[in-house]
Amino acid sequence: MLQSFFEWMQGLPFSAWMLEETWASPIIQCAHLVALVGFAGAVLVVDMRLLGRGLIKTPLNQLAREMDRWMIWSFVALFVTGAPQVLSTALKQYYSPFFWWKIQIIVIGLLFNFTIRRRVAFAEEGTLGHWPKVVGFLSIGIWTSVSVYARLIGLLS
Amino acid sequence: MRSLFEWVDALPSSIALRESLNAYPTMLTIHVVSMCLFAGLIAYWDMRLIGFTLKKVPVSNIPTRLFPWALTGYGINLITGALLLYSQPMRYYGNFYFWAKMALMLVAGINMFWFHYATYKSVQAWDQGREIPLNARLAGVVSLVLWAAVVVTGRMMAYSGLMPGWWNNLNIGA
Repeated sequence: MLQSFFEWMQGLPFSAWMLEETWASPIIQCAHLVALVGFAGAVLVVDMRLLGRGLIKTPLNQLAREMDRWMIWSFVALFVTGAPQVLSTALKQYYSPFFWWKIQIIVIGLLFNFTIRRRVAFAEEGTLGHWPKVVGFLSIGIWTSVSVYARLIGLLS
Repeated sequence: MRSLFEWVDALPSSIALRESLNAYPTMLTIHVVSMCLFAGLIAYWDMRLIGFTLKKVPVSNIPTRLFPWALTGYGINLITGALLLYSQPMRYYGNFYFWAKMALMLVAGINMFWFHYATYKSVQAWDQGREIPLNARLAGVVSLVLWAAVVVTGRMMAYSGLMPGWWNNLNIGA
């Protein structure tokens, strides 16, 4: 079922175009990497603050609200530039364990961000004990794992 | 220059790194993660200077509080980048994007030092709530564009078949 879906994606005219057009893949990969930098920065500014590092003179909830839109828009850019890469190399991705680990951790990361991390980052400071540190640490761990697995798809698949 | 690259290429430690199954993926992965730490934080510093974000954060807070982390990322990035170069010097010697990346990093460094030793000295006058001077905003734009170009040329190094025609005509890697 899932394999035939990936075979269908690989067989799309768009996938063929991506593979045949010399500059399509490099341009999209470069844009994906630039979006990754934007996403990583937005996550790190808040996560470091959760850990009691970085911009500690700025209220956490103010920082989290400001970085939230940068995080969301850079994630949208990551998705928009990542999807064509999955389409054009669908079978390579399907057979790569790193791809599936990456997808699973992205889902966990998104759920974690929009539930626990947001609640902690938007809360009144000093009311949650050690939880901000735990959440900041987990968030950095989750998104670092995603970028590690993403890199390993290309290198070890 | 070429003989230096060839000499490194023939060193036993360079060959050992090149032939190791795990060294290249490990170094490249750490290179990418440390790039996120460095370039991610620098991008928001640049955007603060331009006036895109973090407007309520005093400008002087960012170098004090974020630069130690950004520089840690840069340090790790430099070490892993040097190891990647050390492991395959002849692969990079003839690569246009490698030299373009080095040149862009140099210009970005000059821009950073120029900003730090000229424009930033007057930061107390525009630290918060005041309009950021044109010189500082320009330095932010230049830095943002240059570091994005460094990221792009870094990624393009993998595409040795897509180098400009005039570069190929120089036969540098031959």
